[in-house]
Amino acid sequence: MPPSIHPVDLITALRQKHLTPAIVFLTSRRACDEAMESFDVADIVLPPARQEVIAAALDRVIANYPSVAEHPLIPTVRRIGVAAHHAGHLPSWKIAIEELMRQGCLDAVFATTTLAAGVDFPARTVVITQSSIRKARDFTDLTIGEVQQIAGRAGRRGKDQVGFAVITPSPYIDLGVLTKGLTGHPESIDSQFTITYPMVLNLLKAHPHEQIHAILAKSFAQFQLNQRAELLERKLDTLHVQMEPFGPRVCTDWITQWQTFDQARRQRPHRLQVKQQESPELTARFHFMTPGRVVGLTRGRGIVLRQYRSKGQRNPMISVLRPDGAVTECPAATVAEVFDRVFECDETSAFPWCSAASFDELHYQLTELPTRLPTLPIIVPKVSESLPDAIVQSLGDFPCPTCSSRPACQKDVAVASRLRQEQHRHTKSIQALRASLWHRFQERVEVLQTFGYLTPSAHLTDDGEWARLIRIDHSLLITELIRAEAFAGADPALLTGVMASIAHDDDRPGAFPRISTGLSSLLGQVRKLAESLSPYEDPPLLRADIAAVAERWIADPTLTWIGLCRLTTMAEGDIYRLLARTLEFLSQIHTLHATHPGLADSAAKAIALIRRGVLEELP
Amino acid sequence: MTTDELERLLAQQPVAVLHRLARGRVHRHFRAGKRRLIELLLQHSSQNLAGLESDLQTLIIDRQGQSQLPPGATRTAHRVPSPPQKRSPNRGGEPETSEPAVSLTAWLEGLGVPPPQPFVPDPWQSEALAALDDTDVVVSVPTGSGKTYVAVEAARRAMEDNRTVIYTSPLKALSNTKFTEFSKIFGSDKVGILTGDRQENGQAPLLIMTTEILRNLLYDAASGEIDVRLDTLGLVILDESQYIADPERGVVWEETIIFCPSQAKLLLLSASIGNPQDIADWLTSIRPTASRLVRHSKRTVPLRAGYLHPNGKLVPLFKTAAIPSGHPNHLHPETKRLFHEYEDETMPSGRSRR
Ligand SMILES: Nc1ncnc2c1ncn2[C@@H]1O[C@H](COP(=O)(O)OP(=O)(O)O)[C@@H](O)[C@H]1O
Ligand SMILES: [Mg+2]
Repeated sequence: MPPSIHPVDLITALRQKHLTPAIVFLTSRRACDEAMESFDVADIVLPPARQEVIAAALDRVIANYPSVAEHPLIPTVRRIGVAAHHAGHLPSWKIAIEELMRQGCLDAVFATTTLAAGVDFPARTVVITQSSIRKARDFTDLTIGEVQQIAGRAGRRGKDQVGFAVITPSPYIDLGVLTKGLTGHPESIDSQFTITYPMVLNLLKAHPHEQIHAILAKSFAQFQLNQRAELLERKLDTLHVQMEPFGPRVCTDWITQWQTFDQARRQRPHRLQVKQQESPELTARFHFMTPGRVVGLTRGRGIVLRQYRSKGQRNPMISVLRPDGAVTECPAATVAEVFDRVFECDETSAFPWCSAASFDELHYQLTELPTRLPTLPIIVPKVSESLPDAIVQSLGDFPCPTCSSRPACQKDVAVASRLRQEQHRHTKSIQALRASLWHRFQERVEVLQTFGYLTPSAHLTDDGEWARLIRIDHSLLITELIRAEAFAGADPALLTGVMASIAHDDDRPGAFPRISTGLSSLLGQVRKLAESLSPYEDPPLLRADIAAVAERWIADPTLTWIGLCRLTTMAEGDIYRLLARTLEFLSQIHTLHATHPGLADSAAKAIALIRRGVLEELP
Repeated sequence: MTTDELERLLAQQPVAVLHRLARGRVHRHFRAGKRRLIELLLQHSSQNLAGLESDLQTLIIDRQGQSQLPPGATRTAHRVPSPPQKRSPNRGGEPETSEPAVSLTAWLEGLGVPPPQPFVPDPWQSEALAALDDTDVVVSVPTGSGKTYVAVEAARRAMEDNRTVIYTSPLKALSNTKFTEFSKIFGSDKVGILTGDRQENGQAPLLIMTTEILRNLLYDAASGEIDVRLDTLGLVILDESQYIADPERGVVWEETIIFCPSQAKLLLLSASIGNPQDIADWLTSIRPTASRLVRHSKRTVPLRAGYLHPNGKLVPLFKTAAIPSGHPNHLHPETKRLFHEYEDETMPSGRSRR
């Protein structure tokens, strides 16, 4: 059996069942292009009448967008009524195909799933061939929302009584993801609020520092953080009720009092039930072998799941999770090293001493540990004759041994201290949830103060006043470059090259034109600066080859679009997007005309030079 | 067992087994598809393929309902018992209904063009428009329901009131499409467009822009720049507003909504999302009036799901013609059979075994 259906067979099957027009979502641009090639030799041509309709519709689009006429896919579109539509194409081509689809001329469009959200044309049928999608260089399963967004293109109001989502398998498919996506409820969405430098500058331009807290509190991020905080507050209320029986007794803070007393009491060697010499070193170390702790054993490492004392001998013992997933019981004395590494461990009272999720997580962590781990420095108390005395003495300070409340305290202390611990934990989390945005804002303020965009009283400096107009990614790098006068005397081509390399965030490799020495040395400077800024802002890719493409377009006004495309292996659509994004960056630079007339002028020249050929044609 | 054999054995397992194996081995394995999962499993266990293999054997035997371990796989220490798994004869774990599965003919029934009908707004469309007279509105409905109609009508009413309208979309391409569409509806003198690289008719009463541009306008206005368009602003329409959850750009939607002038109404148009009420509650908490949520999850044009086998055979995906909401496992028996066959015959890398 073939791993997936042949595009020609697919179209034949869809036509036969009257399921056209269809949008076929494929994994990659390459897959779309290959599907197109497979129609070159296909004999499933449309009847002449339909071919004429397509030709006429194409002519109308070409009148508006001349670049469409040159497209190599035109013959396939005319003959067979199928087309490809993906990010590698020029916007004009995509507009043409969308228009043909809207007019109902085509039988199928092959598109990439990455663009499902940007495809604003429906069809009778969508064909789904994959269950995962490439995001940030890795494949992840489609969410329910995404599956429904894709399937939602099927069924045009007014043109179809029903729509069809057809799944056809490929080696990339997990049917479960798709059936869950089709039948499930879309996921909840979460705020992705971040605090950017331009945001800080613009907020502080318009509002005094003390009002910012209230403004940040209006974000959806804070709304959702509050929801979580409120949940914890309700838990806190419950804890409060549970704590009621444990209110003040003979001492107001009897829980702390008792804990300290209990500790002191336990440390008295003669109080140990079995008199047995345990080295003070072992006692000290045993103290740290708590659940989640990484320890070194004679053979390999493990993570402590619980600590206990053996029955009878009362030897200190631990249950340890080993890298092979086994849980073994070891005497604490056999532990060779106690490492300075503890993982969260959701303890339970029965084997395997923690929740299944915790167990999996710990097991995973254990296998991922680096080969070298710092050991925990453990101070072993010097046992001297005076210690028992000291303890006895300190015990003398406790009223507990003679206190009337002692039996009650002894009985309740375990529950009470656990509840109190939880209260502390929740209170801390609530504070963190309420204040985190403000803290992040403050961090940004401090950086901007260090760099001199803000005064110590958080007002905009002269530099801050213009820097707030640069509201794009990598704004700190750009404003620092301007302050360092990196662009002084730089011609439009150099400026464009640098901006392109900052704007471009794709690491797809390819072949590119050679870069000029001027741009190359300027980029070296930019790279150095970007690196020095990396603690404050993620550096852009700063690809020299990408800079060269943009530089060429500006440096040589006689270069045609086709000529530019020949210089590189980048897809047309990618070159277009690169230049359009560079244009956006340049227009931000252009807004600085009041403070940096020379630079703004250079940007304006660059903008005028970029806009030619297909870049001018566009809507 | 060689790596190849192991890979093949893995490929023959249902995904659930692979996920079970991945627990503790592969980080965030639930996000990986089958093929990727196998790759990750082999990669992460490259130091201990024997361990992976023996765990796999154990799971296979487990699934067959046998309790003994395979010979040779004796263990000294105890292993964690696998969590209890619901299991019933059909592998999805849902009770089979007794109704017979739908036939292909019945599944295809209704295919075709509906008779032309006069345009009547849907109740949810009228509801959204009426609510917009008094307050901000959040719309969350499936793709293809007709959100554009709400946007157009709302814009028309605001413009009749001599108010400026701003319409934003997340993508330049979509902005361009809407510019063409709205210019046809309202006349090209009434519609302008502002994107990062295009500015046309910037003083028109209906302005189309990307959300970033609107955010910038709002920042400029906040810092004292005078913009008459914002003084007369009556309505801000944020299309595809589920983009608020976009990791890179979502923050721009929040900034825009926070700084949207209070005299302007907000109309958020979104595809179906899980928590539209949260969005509406959030708006209520920061805007002058309590916002109104208009939502529904029923598709206007019913959707059917099918399965097309690589040999060209088309079968319904589910046992019912309609999509069985909440029952992902109600697969059509024929689909189940064909897909198992497919899984059995294709190697994880996509090469045919023959
Ligand atoms: N009340 C209605 N009756 C019939 N057709 C409608 C109605 N409302 C919208 N439509 C049509 O539905 C189609 C999809 O509308 P659109 O606004 O693009 O959907 P959405 O933006 O919700 O995905 C359009 O062709 C539109 O003309
Ligand atoms: Mg829409």
